Amino acid sequence: MRTVSVATPRAFDLSQVARTWELLLLLTVREVKLRYEGTILGFLWTLAKPLLLALVFSFALSRVLGIKDPRGAPYVLFLLSALFPWTWFQASIQSSAASFSNNAALLKKVYFPRFVLPLSAITSQLFHFVLSIPILALFLVVAGYRPGPEWLLGVPLLMAIQLLMLVGGVLLVASFNVFVRDLEHLVEVLMLLWLYLTPILYPLSLVKEKIGSIIYLNPMASLIQAWRDLFLYDQLPGVDIWPALVFTAVALVTGSIVFKTLEGQFEVAL
Amino acid sequence: MRSPYSEQEVITLDNVSKRYFLHPERMRELKTALLHLPTFLKASRARQPFWALRDISLSIRRGESVGIIGPNGAGKSTLLRIVSRLAPLTKGKLTVRGRISPLLELGAGFHPQINGRENAVLNAVLLGLSHKEAKEKLPEIVEFSELREFIDQPMRTYSSGMYVRLGFAVAVHVKPEILLVDEVLAVGDAEFQRKCFDHIEKLRQNKVTIVLVSHDLENVKRFCDRAVLLNHGVIAAEGEPQKVVDEYLSGHFEFSAAPTRRGSS
Repeated sequence: MRTVSVATPRAFDLSQVARTWELLLLLTVREVKLRYEGTILGFLWTLAKPLLLALVFSFALSRVLGIKDPRGAPYVLFLLSALFPWTWFQASIQSSAASFSNNAALLKKVYFPRFVLPLSAITSQLFHFVLSIPILALFLVVAGYRPGPEWLLGVPLLMAIQLLMLVGGVLLVASFNVFVRDLEHLVEVLMLLWLYLTPILYPLSLVKEKIGSIIYLNPMASLIQAWRDLFLYDQLPGVDIWPALVFTAVALVTGSIVFKTLEGQFEVAL
Repeated sequence: MRSPYSEQEVITLDNVSKRYFLHPERMRELKTALLHLPTFLKASRARQPFWALRDISLSIRRGESVGIIGPNGAGKSTLLRIVSRLAPLTKGKLTVRGRISPLLELGAGFHPQINGRENAVLNAVLLGLSHKEAKEKLPEIVEFSELREFIDQPMRTYSSGMYVRLGFAVAVHVKPEILLVDEVLAVGDAEFQRKCFDHIEKLRQNKVTIVLVSHDLENVKRFCDRAVLLNHGVIAAEGEPQKVVDEYLSGHFEFSAAPTRRGSS
């Protein structure tokens, strides 16, 4: 006979849930502050990176290789409408990979809901993404586009899908990274590869001509396309978004199972 | 006098055992593991079980202060880690009623780039306060830590003593119902140490349950109502602190159970 149980009557009451949210918020604020600590330009750096990338790519891909938006949007806008959400995705995964392993001292000494650590990486990156949306809108307005009311519904909706997908993915990566530290390095390379495999620099239609629907095996393909349709053409996500929804569900389920299973062994591995 | 179903019991351990595995050689790198896959698989099978705690049954009542003593490697810290839910137990049952404040390492969550004030608030929330409560407690925490002039400086500018002072100040101000203290008070200057013990004494009078792991037997005699002597993961003696400390010092239990121990000071 074997019984293993920990009864803590207070663990599930509402004040605990509220405290977890507060913890997440405080950690998010800390992450954001840390990022700009000692910098003069602060948030401008977060913008400068995708903007500089956009300049480079628009020269190389649009001018030299002649890649175009099939619906005629200027290439820089075409690129940024996908690059901003992608940056949120990529930076979240990359910065959360080591969130358990880098906080070993804390995890070994204080008990708190551990998942808030990788989650705060997602939310602090979300903060940067939210700030970049008005910049994108400004660019669009300058180019003669007019962001429509669809954004009010579409942005939170796509944000929610991407957030949940990230939560699953991040729990998976951060949990495994406790045991196999190589993962945080591997992720860096894979994210670069993933960027090129996702229709960000080029239109989805271009790959679909060549390889067909296999492109939807990339969880980000349909999601990025949905962001682009929304930002450039004020289109709300339609049925085409289903691959992203499937991947979100899969990521959430596997992520939570893996985290729950491995969490008990963190103390030995950290 | 000690009914197992008493409402007053705040910590109950029922035949708790904790097993760790000793690996002959750890292969944490993917490359090493893959290149030596046969060895890796054999190694994970050849792991040696090590019982850090064996069938520990112990109940601690509200307001009681209990000292855990014993030689190095007896399982004292493992016991505290299990009670504070940092380590899952292998067998048995643990019941904890009340807010636990572990003083296992002071200032574990402090970030050097952030100032003392924000670190203190975040640490208090980590230890169980709500954000609002933490902000309300902040003046008291700062006052206790004697760091008022430095509180807005980033913590990388703090000395290790200042770190500990802020850490302790936070830990005792989070309205703990159960305070777990693991040797941490050995740090800090004599004056601050006295202040810490005075504060622990005050908490004790306010019916806070205290579990103290210490090598300082005088402190155990002074602060505890009951002492538990652990040796090789089992309870070797339990009861009135003076008696248990005497038994520990007499060394009887030790030589019978740990013949390999020699030449220690």
